[in-house]
Amino acid sequence: MTEFSSKDAKACPVHFDHHTVDHTKQWPETYRKLREECPRAWTDNYDGFWVATRLSDIVGVAQQSDAFSAHKEVDFENGTSTGGVTIPPAGTTRGIPNEADNPEWEGIRRFINRRFAPRAIEERRAKAKQFTAALVDMVIETGECDFVDDLTSALPALVTMEIFGFPLDEWRKFADPFHTMVFTPIHDPAFAETVRGLDYFRERVDEEIAKRRIEPKDDFLTLLATGEINGEPLTWQQIRDLSFNILAGGVDTTTALASNALIWLGRNPGERQRLIDDPDLMPFACEEFIRFYSPIGALSRTAIKDTEVDGWTIRKGERVLMAYAGGNRDPEAFEDPEQVKIDRFPNKHVGFGAGMHRCLGSFLARMMFQEMIGEVLRRLPDYTIDEDGLRQYPSISGVNGWISIPAHFTPGAKVGAVIE
Amino acid sequence: MKVRIDADLCQGHAMCALACPELFQLSDEDGHAYVEDENVPPEYEAAVERAVRSCPEGAIQTS
Repeated sequence: MTEFSSKDAKACPVHFDHHTVDHTKQWPETYRKLREECPRAWTDNYDGFWVATRLSDIVGVAQQSDAFSAHKEVDFENGTSTGGVTIPPAGTTRGIPNEADNPEWEGIRRFINRRFAPRAIEERRAKAKQFTAALVDMVIETGECDFVDDLTSALPALVTMEIFGFPLDEWRKFADPFHTMVFTPIHDPAFAETVRGLDYFRERVDEEIAKRRIEPKDDFLTLLATGEINGEPLTWQQIRDLSFNILAGGVDTTTALASNALIWLGRNPGERQRLIDDPDLMPFACEEFIRFYSPIGALSRTAIKDTEVDGWTIRKGERVLMAYAGGNRDPEAFEDPEQVKIDRFPNKHVGFGAGMHRCLGSFLARMMFQEMIGEVLRRLPDYTIDEDGLRQYPSISGVNGWISIPAHFTPGAKVGAVIE
Repeated sequence: MKVRIDADLCQGHAMCALACPELFQLSDEDGHAYVEDENVPPEYEAAVERAVRSCPEGAIQTS
């Protein structure tokens, strides 16, 4: 439970732990109370950190990247780390450019930005459409499916594999460890085991990079193997950290977004019909689901100097959790913030973060969301969610997602799409 | 009406392109927004105002 002991913004100690099952069950209420009573809260958990829940404060922190560091320092000898974008820092795995400051950040983003910019992503749409149609083909004759296993987990993983240049049939081996890692609570003894599951991914990256150095192809692995950042080839560590960041960003976040949207549309058939009748609403609905569910609910920074954000003083060394999920329901920024309005606009959500670290894959996420939801609405328009079979992530500290979403629908015909 | 995008603040959220795709273009390099012409035709003024209110970074100004 989150308890409040002061309304003074400068001395507002709370008990807050985003890794608990309680948080998963009641985060909208927790963030609402924090925003109203204690928008710049301090908790002693995990060596102490601020929790920012107002949209303007979150943007204020995110935009001051010279004062608030995202850099993660890894001590491989002792297996520990400090800083980075999670509280507490998880193990020795570092994602770049997400956990990098300037000048390192700029070199990496310049190296990869173009691959994730709108034009490059549009060029991938036809393939994503084909994969989505093939995934629906696999279940459409049976009249039932699990939206997570059969679609929302599969499509982002397949598209990510395609971008990298990994064999598509390995997608489950890549995606499952990330999937399990993000929903296993860090206090759970199984967490360490799930993190070790990432070793397969690291080994495969190393193998494929070695192959690309001998035989280059037209894929992301080749760029990593043969490209240069600031005139230097990438180190093995850079290749691992960068590919980890891209895979982690690719495989579970859009999964969570589409999963939440499918549940909401299943529970709101009138609004689902509205989206079927007016597909032009899709981009607006996409932004609204990102706002409302905030697939990545919070990320952190560390102050590297005493800094002020609109009258709030953060001391050097203090950590700040930017609770995007809280900011995205801030009534100062959104009318009726606790309501989903599929045509909401303007919608200045921070579901993709803010400041220079704005989600690299945001255009890819939107494209995949549109393809998945569009295909379901066209081919499984009468689906119903089996509410008793829904299984939410126990911990949403990483990603606000679902393990299982069983559904039924009127069987239909295959269109003959294939995954290749 | 004139519209200006602060390139230091714009991060490529692309909400302006959703508000008014006729005027706001997105870079093929990093998805950041730009306008070809800062003069806003009268029929797009309302859409540009919506773009201003849609930008999470506060990067769009009109005059």
